[in-house]
Amino acid sequence: MSVELSKKGLILSATGLAAGYDGRAIVSGINIEATPGKVVSIVGPNGSGKSTLLKSLVGVVKVLDGSVKVGEKTITNMPPEEVAKIGVGYVPQIDDVFPPLSVKENLEIGGYLLKRNEIHGRIDAVLEFFPKLKVMMSRKAGKLSGGERKMLAMGRVLMLSPSVLVLDEPTANLAPIVATQLLEEYIRGFADFGSTVLLVEQRAKAALRISDHTYVLGGGRVVLEGAPGDLQNNPIFVESFLGGGAALRAPKE
Amino acid sequence: MSSFGFGLISAAVLAIATVGFTMQFAVTNVLNLAYGSIMINSAFVTYYVNEHGVNAWVALIGGVLTGAIASWVLNRFVYTPFQKRNLAPITVVIVSLGIDLMGTFGLQAIVGGGYVSFSQNQGREFHFAGLLLSSLQLIVIGICAVVLVGVHGLLKYTRLGKAMRATSANKNLARNSGVKTQFIISTTWLISGALCGLAGTVFAMNAGVFEATSAQLYIVLLLAAMFLGGPGEPYGAMFGALIIGLSTEISAAYINPDYKDVIAFIALIVMLMFRPFGIFGSEKTN
Ligand SMILES: Nc1ncnc2c1ncn2[C@@H]1O[C@H](COP(=O)(O)OP(=O)(O)OP(=O)(O)O)[C@@H](O)[C@H]1O
Ligand SMILES: [Mg+2]
Repeated sequence: MSVELSKKGLILSATGLAAGYDGRAIVSGINIEATPGKVVSIVGPNGSGKSTLLKSLVGVVKVLDGSVKVGEKTITNMPPEEVAKIGVGYVPQIDDVFPPLSVKENLEIGGYLLKRNEIHGRIDAVLEFFPKLKVMMSRKAGKLSGGERKMLAMGRVLMLSPSVLVLDEPTANLAPIVATQLLEEYIRGFADFGSTVLLVEQRAKAALRISDHTYVLGGGRVVLEGAPGDLQNNPIFVESFLGGGAALRAPKE
Repeated sequence: MSSFGFGLISAAVLAIATVGFTMQFAVTNVLNLAYGSIMINSAFVTYYVNEHGVNAWVALIGGVLTGAIASWVLNRFVYTPFQKRNLAPITVVIVSLGIDLMGTFGLQAIVGGGYVSFSQNQGREFHFAGLLLSSLQLIVIGICAVVLVGVHGLLKYTRLGKAMRATSANKNLARNSGVKTQFIISTTWLISGALCGLAGTVFAMNAGVFEATSAQLYIVLLLAAMFLGGPGEPYGAMFGALIIGLSTEISAAYINPDYKDVIAFIALIVMLMFRPFGIFGSEKTN
């Protein structure tokens, strides 16, 4: 069902990547790869650098070392507007909509790179996908509920039919049922269709359920990685994320 | 009643100026305190073109272009380099204050300290809704209406205007959506600068006589009107300008006219106590 919305994917990869703020690395030595048709997830405690890593992939945070590639193209430190153009759709963890703009205007900005006469049809396609947005087209994005807002944020990136989706905690603050639906129907759906999905998800259990491969970030480095089956049998992972243990875990406020 | 008429015209001039000022601040994130000096420089360009025998309303184009180009240049060669250095935002504000003084006194050094006036009179007078208005004043109100409708249409219905509002609301997200925000910001300097030049010329025409320092305290009225309406809100700017224009002119009729700017600030402070984001404003994310 997610089908016509995204495009067949390209490989998104980072090699030896270091990135951070003001020349100071927050994440380093990162080697990750997200491939078409797969959901690749990143989990890790608060402050471990998950968002910083995603931002460096899409050009919002400066890459200090290493490289980022989409397909054959090197996009290291490419400006975000160019990254959008080559088909990478990024939904940030916070500030994911334009609050003073209406829902319709948010979608129009999402389709900024489309031809004028394509935008309308494209909005209709996105609304087929998120029908709840239909009745709130003229409402300001700042006035939406958490779930509605996330749908809009996703709808915004879908306007450009991305082939790679980079999603930073799309289920944060959502009711459990809505979160499960978003992950298992929509996000898994993009991958099943053939798009590339790179997902940061703080709830490890939910992440494993829909992922093909998962990276565990700790202190700005990949400390563990593997298929869900492997991680579920890894005592350190279970201890840190699935059980009651506290090794890598920090409470989410 | 005549102070109400004066107030209305002042409000119209202020509205043109504030709409440009608030757009500039919201989209570019620069509180450009040099706005007043660009206004008066633009007015002088119109004045000199007019002096060379060009009709004042045609010469106005020179003033508008001056405002647009000066603002663009100022951003390109002064504000942007400062912003790129990641200094505290207040740094750019201080720089703009310096530019304002240089702009004003540089102009004074060139044109001298004396008053000048446009070599055209205020035109016929009309009775209109109980007010006595000159044709100049009617034209000012007309220009104000065109500007307000134009800016409304730009922001609400055009691709550029929506991109300007998106850039103002969340610059990074706009870039993630493919908006070249650097281009949008440059364009905003041109448009808001054009409004600044227009406002400066109309301000000088309406004042009758003016000199290089005539707009020096105008920034006070601009800030008051902008914050009254809520920064970045063009309709708020309109409303703020009306309140400030009327309250300053009407109070000037009863109290000492020298206290005009003080009255503007009292209105602003009272309002900020009740609605910190302005009448039309709301919190924005960055
Ligand atoms: N703009 C910034 N400037 C400087 N340091 C920052 C900035 N943003 C984040 N950091 C720092 O980078 C580190 C990693 O933050 P990041 O947001 O990437 O973590 P995260 O894993 O996404 O956490 P969470 O699970 O809470 O979203 C933190 O120590 C944070 O304080
Ligand atoms: Mg994060």
